[in-house]
Amino acid sequence: MMTSGTTTVRPPDESTESAGERDKIAARAIGLTKTYGDGQARVTALDHVDVEFASGRLTAIMGPSGSGKSTLMHCMAALDTPTAGRVIIDGVDITHLKDKALTRLRRDRLGFVFQAYNLIPTLTAHENITLPMDIAGANVESGWFDTVIDTLGIRDRLTHRPDELSGGQQQRVACARALLGRPAIVFADEPTGNLDSRASAEILSFLRASVDDFGQTIVMVTHDPSAASYADRVIFLVDGRIVHDIADPTMPVVLAYIQELDQPRVEV
Amino acid sequence: MRRVTLRGLQGHLVRLLLTAAAVMLGVSFVTGTFVLRDSFDRALTGLVAGSTAGLDVSVRGTRIGGGDGTRAPVSLELVDTLSAVPGVARVTPDLQGVAIIAGSDGNAVRTNGAPGLGFAFADDDPAFKLIAGRGPTHADEVVVETVTLDKAGLGVGDRTRAVIGATTRPVTITGEVEFGVLFGATAVLVDQATAVREFAPDGTVASITIGAQPGVSQGELATAVADVLPDATEAVTGAAVNAEHESAVQQGLGYATTFLLVFAGVALFVGAFIIANTFTMLIGQRARELALLRALGASRNQVLGSVMGEAAVVGVVGSVLGMGLGILVAHGAKAAIRALLGVDIGSDLPVTSATLLISLAVGTLVTMVSAILPARRAARTAPVAAMRADTPIAQKGLRRRGTAGGVLLLVGAGVLGSSVARDDVPWVLAGIGSFVAVIGMLVGAPLFTRPVVRVVAWPFVVVSGVVARLARQNALRVPRRTAATASALMIGLALVAGISVLAQSVKASVTEGVSNELTSDFVLTVSGGVSTVPPTVAEDARTLAQAGSVAAVSLVPVTIGDFSTPAAAVEAGPISENFRISMSEGRLASLKDDHVLVDHSTAATQGWRVGDTLIATVGTLGKHELVIGAIYKDSQAFSSHVIVDRGLYEAAVPLGLRVDREIFITAAPGADQTELRAALLDIVRPYLVVSVQDKDEFAKAEGGAIDNLLNLLYVLLFFSVVIAVLGIVNTLALSVLERTREIGLLRAIGLQRRQLGAMITIEAIATAVFGAVLGTVLGLGLGVALQRGLESQGLNTLGIPWGLIVIMLMASVLVGVLAAVAPAIRSTRLVILGAINRV
Ligand SMILES: Nc1ncnc2c1ncn2[C@@H]1O[C@H](COP(=O)(O)OP(=O)(O)OP(=O)(O)O)[C@@H](O)[C@H]1O
Ligand SMILES: [Mg+2]
Repeated sequence: MMTSGTTTVRPPDESTESAGERDKIAARAIGLTKTYGDGQARVTALDHVDVEFASGRLTAIMGPSGSGKSTLMHCMAALDTPTAGRVIIDGVDITHLKDKALTRLRRDRLGFVFQAYNLIPTLTAHENITLPMDIAGANVESGWFDTVIDTLGIRDRLTHRPDELSGGQQQRVACARALLGRPAIVFADEPTGNLDSRASAEILSFLRASVDDFGQTIVMVTHDPSAASYADRVIFLVDGRIVHDIADPTMPVVLAYIQELDQPRVEV
Repeated sequence: MRRVTLRGLQGHLVRLLLTAAAVMLGVSFVTGTFVLRDSFDRALTGLVAGSTAGLDVSVRGTRIGGGDGTRAPVSLELVDTLSAVPGVARVTPDLQGVAIIAGSDGNAVRTNGAPGLGFAFADDDPAFKLIAGRGPTHADEVVVETVTLDKAGLGVGDRTRAVIGATTRPVTITGEVEFGVLFGATAVLVDQATAVREFAPDGTVASITIGAQPGVSQGELATAVADVLPDATEAVTGAAVNAEHESAVQQGLGYATTFLLVFAGVALFVGAFIIANTFTMLIGQRARELALLRALGASRNQVLGSVMGEAAVVGVVGSVLGMGLGILVAHGAKAAIRALLGVDIGSDLPVTSATLLISLAVGTLVTMVSAILPARRAARTAPVAAMRADTPIAQKGLRRRGTAGGVLLLVGAGVLGSSVARDDVPWVLAGIGSFVAVIGMLVGAPLFTRPVVRVVAWPFVVVSGVVARLARQNALRVPRRTAATASALMIGLALVAGISVLAQSVKASVTEGVSNELTSDFVLTVSGGVSTVPPTVAEDARTLAQAGSVAAVSLVPVTIGDFSTPAAAVEAGPISENFRISMSEGRLASLKDDHVLVDHSTAATQGWRVGDTLIATVGTLGKHELVIGAIYKDSQAFSSHVIVDRGLYEAAVPLGLRVDREIFITAAPGADQTELRAALLDIVRPYLVVSVQDKDEFAKAEGGAIDNLLNLLYVLLFFSVVIAVLGIVNTLALSVLERTREIGLLRAIGLQRRQLGAMITIEAIATAVFGAVLGTVLGLGLGVALQRGLESQGLNTLGIPWGLIVIMLMASVLVGVLAAVAPAIRSTRLVILGAINRV
């Protein structure tokens, strides 16, 4: 049950993707700023962030704890409203959209994988996967559904409820749900944060495969340099600002940069 | 640990306030009941004292046949004898009868069937006070009590018509008097001569009031008076009369208080469910926190104490709020009583410390007892639970509990069913059976959750798909909780359903019985209350050419041993022409002289047979020999258990007290019904209060008599339903809180606010309807059983109030919607991120 389908899994350190071919922009942030609190207690989680996420790419966001990774992702995923700046998703400026339109946008154009608590406990895996489509009242393409669940290897788990699934299986079900609606972009906040290395590798391979085989766009927050090495690009956040941008990252490069980041801190 | 308790209270303030609200409603019932009782007590004590003002000694007849039989009348001739007794200052015969005036609209002035009383006017009578005009001097003048006059829309100097005793005449209102509390009765006063003529036509009265000369004590006077009294009369002191009235008042109040407290008990019982449920949920949500406390070294008793401390605070707060609400409710009830009965029970309401103490104790105790089980569960939390992630709520034992509930339900139903099937119903056993069945339903309810909620949610699933499916799954998530939430509604509605089946059956039985047994075309009656038809109406009706047969029915109290009943006095001939009375033994024609008829069930329970001779008290006749002439089948149209001959009635009831209860009239062969009706209307018009009903109208009116009582019961049960609604609100709000992250997730992946609101509303509806369905089934079962049990007592037609059941189920949908409003709004206000990030 831990087999990961029939996907071509690319070794993480053999990054051969040519970036120029797919330069269509799936999501973009312009001058994105987010502050919490007032006066003394004021925290600037995001500080005038300009970033673009290209279509058909797997982008990783890294940075120290509290650097604003989750905040960036939430603002870009229409889960949170920025204090200033604009967010454009799939060509739509979402900055001034009302809750109803934002909800529809999330439902129809975005996919989510969270670190934990991804599934509705009362629904079976199958029902969880089709939930956004059911909410929208849309029909599930059965061919695509089969492809997704076979790729994730969860066909024999479809009738189970979340509490009958392992953490890795739950994350795979969450991935299947995120992908089923063919969203413009999938946001994943530490999708492997609670998993062991083997289960992590399976999830990351699957995310990679869905980019390569289905042209899915994915933005993923992670603390794990090996996870970042699955990505086409890694951006580093520190104190709410993008401080570094690595194309086609490999594990040594990422590790080296993280050490470089830590260095001055130790001295201070 | 005190700090933990305080923080616990703080953290769940709203939840606990809602729980306190459930306590509050129950307690308000208790407080209200006691406050009302005390006000009535005070008002009535004042009234009793007022009504015996100027009464130092009362002369009255002794009870005929002893026990609590009727009293013999006292001759007016005694007045002169009594006046001659030394120490007597004043002798007033208590002349009292029927007197009713027509208001400015020409209709009789009456309140809800309360009697229209007539008294004799005397300038020096301390029982009332002349506040305007002067007393009556001859038969065409009356003085009217002030509230009555107000109701009539008339004033001093106006002319109107009045029924005084048996005669109707035009009168002039010469004055206005003030009385104590009349409890809705109207009062008209006439001059002494008229009073004697109309209220004591045979020269007898019920009692004579004697006032003492200054310096003569009541006791001395009573002894002096007793010396001159003939047989079968007695002299009692004013103090003794007061005490008698007082104890009668206390007894009546005791019944009323018990009756109200039963409903307070139901409300508190329902509230207990909600309290237990809320604490269970609060503790479930704090399982990790409690486990952490245990891991840090808190003992079980400390955890238990902390939870019980919370319960105590909730109980006290709820009780105190309940007292306040109860006092408000009592004020409302007072206003309603004044509006409906015209009784003012005093301007301020006495709130005694006993009332407050009882309310506080009851509310706090109920809360703490309800919280004991959840608190013990909390204390048993294993310290290791703190380490575990989300501990799923234990679901085991559901089947076992369901089986136990099912068995109890079946056993209870079996016992109840077999009890009521017996001829001589063992009511205690039937009661135990019902109780066991109710407990079984409560215990087994979680197992019924799945099937019932599935069916209830089905239409929603068809219409709104996944949203309703989510709602259904939520309702089924913790069946115990859903069941406990629904139980509160279940109990309230089971009582409503049971009572209404009984009421409907009474109506159906009466209506059917009356229309089957009654053959007459018209009935002359005074609708509602204790008033009666003057005997002259029957005499007038007999003169009509269109009337073929006129049967007057009067009542006379008959006591045989321990058995006492108002017997119907009729003539055999006319009654057989107006009724279809089926005999089970003997013939109707045997009703003659001292031969009486007895209905079947009475004969059976008393062991009487045709031909038996019984020593009875009939009206004023003591130790009278009666012979059972025949036994008739129990009758609806004829609610009396014993029928005596008219001749015996005339011998037993003084002329002035003879009145008819109903007059049945069958048209002469070939006579026109419309003409007969018109002629009858002409006859009754002067009597103001007598109405003409045809057979159908009469049947309906007889059956409808139960409606007022029914409405009162519904109002009282409404409290329990409100508490049940609070319970649903509480459970929903808590489970929304519990599912915050899940709701955040749903919102993140695209559930609209509206859909979220719909989800919670459907969950609430499913819960409410579930409770309503269980309650209705339970209530129907109990109601039907009760009807079967009472079948031999004449409740032979089962009436199912389908309309009410449909209304109840629809109302439960509304209850669900109402209960969902606050939690739904709350849930849609959840910030998605806050929800997701919550650990
Ligand atoms: N709701 C909030 N109220 C106040 N401050 C907040 C809130 N959410 C985030 N912050 C602050 O904003 C900053 C960025 O938080 P964010 O959650 O984006 O960090 P992160 O990079 O995701 O950290 P981690 O790797 O630990 O998840 C932090 O300093 C945090 O304390
Ligand atoms: Mg984060």
